[in-house]
Amino acid sequence: MTVDRRTFMAGTAVALATPGLVANRALAQADKVVKITLSQDFTRIYTFVTSEYNQGQRDYFTLINERGGAGGYKIVADVSDHANDLPRAIEAYERGKREGAVLIDPLSTPVARALVPRALEDKINLITAFSGRSDAADGTAFPYVLPLSINYWTQIGLIIDYFQKVEKGDLKGKKIVFVHIDTPFGKEPLPILQVLSQKLGFELATFPYTPPGNDQSAIWPQVRRAKPDFVIFWGAGVGQTVALTEAIRNGLPMDRVSSSVWLSESDMDVVGRDAAKGVLKIEPCVGGREPKIIKDILSDVVGKGKGAGPEAKVGTAYYNYGVQIASLIVEGVRKAAEKAPNGPVTGPWLNEGLQSISKFTAEGMLPPTTVTKEDHQGGGFGRVARWDGQKFVPVTDWFTANQDVVWTEVRKYSEEFRKTGK
Amino acid sequence: MFYRRAGIRHTRYQDERQLFPLGFDRLLILSTLLLLLIAPLIVDRFYLAGYLLPWLIWTSAAQGLNLLMGGAGQIHLGYGAVMAIGAYGSVHLVRFGVPFELAMIAGGLMSASVGIVFGAAALRVKGIYLAMATLAMQYIIDFVISHTAAIGGGTLATLQVPPATFFGIALHGDLPTYYFALAFCALVTLFMLNVGRSSFGRALVAVREKDYAAQILGVSTFKYKLLAFWVSSFIGGMVGAVLAVCYLRAISPDQFHIELSIQLLAMVIVGGLGSVLGPFFGSALILFAPIVLNNLLTFASNFFGFSMSIDLRAHAPLMAYGVLVIAFLLYEPLGLAKIYSNIRNYLIVWPFRHAQR
Repeated sequence: MTVDRRTFMAGTAVALATPGLVANRALAQADKVVKITLSQDFTRIYTFVTSEYNQGQRDYFTLINERGGAGGYKIVADVSDHANDLPRAIEAYERGKREGAVLIDPLSTPVARALVPRALEDKINLITAFSGRSDAADGTAFPYVLPLSINYWTQIGLIIDYFQKVEKGDLKGKKIVFVHIDTPFGKEPLPILQVLSQKLGFELATFPYTPPGNDQSAIWPQVRRAKPDFVIFWGAGVGQTVALTEAIRNGLPMDRVSSSVWLSESDMDVVGRDAAKGVLKIEPCVGGREPKIIKDILSDVVGKGKGAGPEAKVGTAYYNYGVQIASLIVEGVRKAAEKAPNGPVTGPWLNEGLQSISKFTAEGMLPPTTVTKEDHQGGGFGRVARWDGQKFVPVTDWFTANQDVVWTEVRKYSEEFRKTGK
Repeated sequence: MFYRRAGIRHTRYQDERQLFPLGFDRLLILSTLLLLLIAPLIVDRFYLAGYLLPWLIWTSAAQGLNLLMGGAGQIHLGYGAVMAIGAYGSVHLVRFGVPFELAMIAGGLMSASVGIVFGAAALRVKGIYLAMATLAMQYIIDFVISHTAAIGGGTLATLQVPPATFFGIALHGDLPTYYFALAFCALVTLFMLNVGRSSFGRALVAVREKDYAAQILGVSTFKYKLLAFWVSSFIGGMVGAVLAVCYLRAISPDQFHIELSIQLLAMVIVGGLGSVLGPFFGSALILFAPIVLNNLLTFASNFFGFSMSIDLRAHAPLMAYGVLVIAFLLYEPLGLAKIYSNIRNYLIVWPFRHAQR
């Protein structure tokens, strides 16, 4: 028994001593590399979003590295799981920092919140695509926090603008119902909706459901009885598919029901591809396998057996979001290398590059994206797409709308941050 | 051989009643403390910020919960909420300009006063019913924080922690936060060590073992159950403040959800209920086993050159972690601290095992 105990303790000691060895492991020692940390949540809440998003990112980095890198720099990504748990995420962040990582993409709102003060201090670029603080769009208050994507306020602004177009420019007297998960994330669009309802004269009714939203049967009959002209549902994960199922069950007109960027082919499989026909979502980039970049990935990466995951996932909505963000990171590296070809590769070096991305479309995959020192959102362009039973088909061109309202809100919170952050 | 108990003849009561009567124990503790004190010199700051700091803070929290669960035998599933009250209370006070020294204590008092209200349920119910009552506390506090804009911080639900100082030292950067957390953890540990020897601690033990028997013996269960909740919540609130200022630096409701409560519960149970050493081991295992296993697996896959899908690589450590926790509990249901005490008992008489009683 005592021997067992001893081996047990020795084993524990070895396991505890190992991170030292691991941290010192020889990384790819090519002379020109940009190290980034992709510590994301593969196991807790964001799960399948993360695995598709991350697969897209890694496939794109492989594509670029195979072609000789961006501006001569290869991207080395350290992928790990933080399980949406702060100690784990902060450990990954600190480890990345120690190993010289100049960028981290946690893809998690809680983690991004805790990393914001650290990233600002350590001058490490923090990507908060489709997550994190919406006010991080204000680059003057958050120089090292880069959403590089349309935040939730812009998304709601785009949806309302689309509804206005459907109604030939007049929403006066119309009723818009906003069904949302009762968490800070779900309530985030409310201030924008309230301002727009005042401005455009539509009637706003909100219906919160309790998280995680696997039972919303009490809410949706009320939505139906409210006789809405348009419905917006706002949630994540299981809440989205349940909301959509209930909307269908209550006979709401699908072509007047919309959600945020968080709707994908996988959700449609859950709901039923045909039943969900007509539902709208916001697309931050082109979906499907049509864009040139995705075709390149299919032939040069996946086709050669270097893909990061199952081939079937290539071209799904979240996969393409991953490619979108990866292409913006790579474009940032390219711009940085243009400005200072010999580095040194540091956070500020990459930051300069990321903040000078200009009218970048990734060969037709993205809306024209311009990131400046003031605007970290990238211009606020997106489009509305409709599910046709097989895929999401765009119903508008790239457009931006209601940015004045969005930026008033952004500045309100970034001002508040500036006051207490320092 | 190591402990050299033979020949120790205490000639004063104080000697016998000191916290650690054996010289070797004192040496061990002092050298551990010394190691922790000079840690910034000997380990990389990555270990300081990534491992030692969270370990000290989570240990302090687990100590507070252990007083209630191990000491007084009252289950609590809402300790994360207790910490949330302390964190939000103190951060709001600091934002209003109250010095952090006071805000921290005020945060503790707020937690204690709310904690005692829900703790009052313990006067009527026990076991899983108390678990339900404290679980309700968790959800009620979560709800109040995220639905009161004045507390939760409005639309973005994030409250930035303003720069705080502790008696002139700015709690900012790796070193000050580490030493502050170390001092705080040492203080809590010292308190916990002494509680066991006080009348308060003995009364808690009496309540834990059989509350009505304690009442018959003249120990007021009413008083001591509430006191246990009060003290434990007070510690929880203070830890919440330390956590917010030294580690999180921006607080939001999801940081204090049920996951945190369960995590602390696991630390206390895996570490050893009622043991002061337990939370140190428990929090190390619960916090770092997934990280270490993850790093090991990444290292192994890089080193041996086998490729694993990231999904498998992310989930395999979790499975191993589950197995590890179960194995430890099967092997030693009394927790990791008991494993240590078994080793200590063995070594006390080593190499004359037959001398063990």
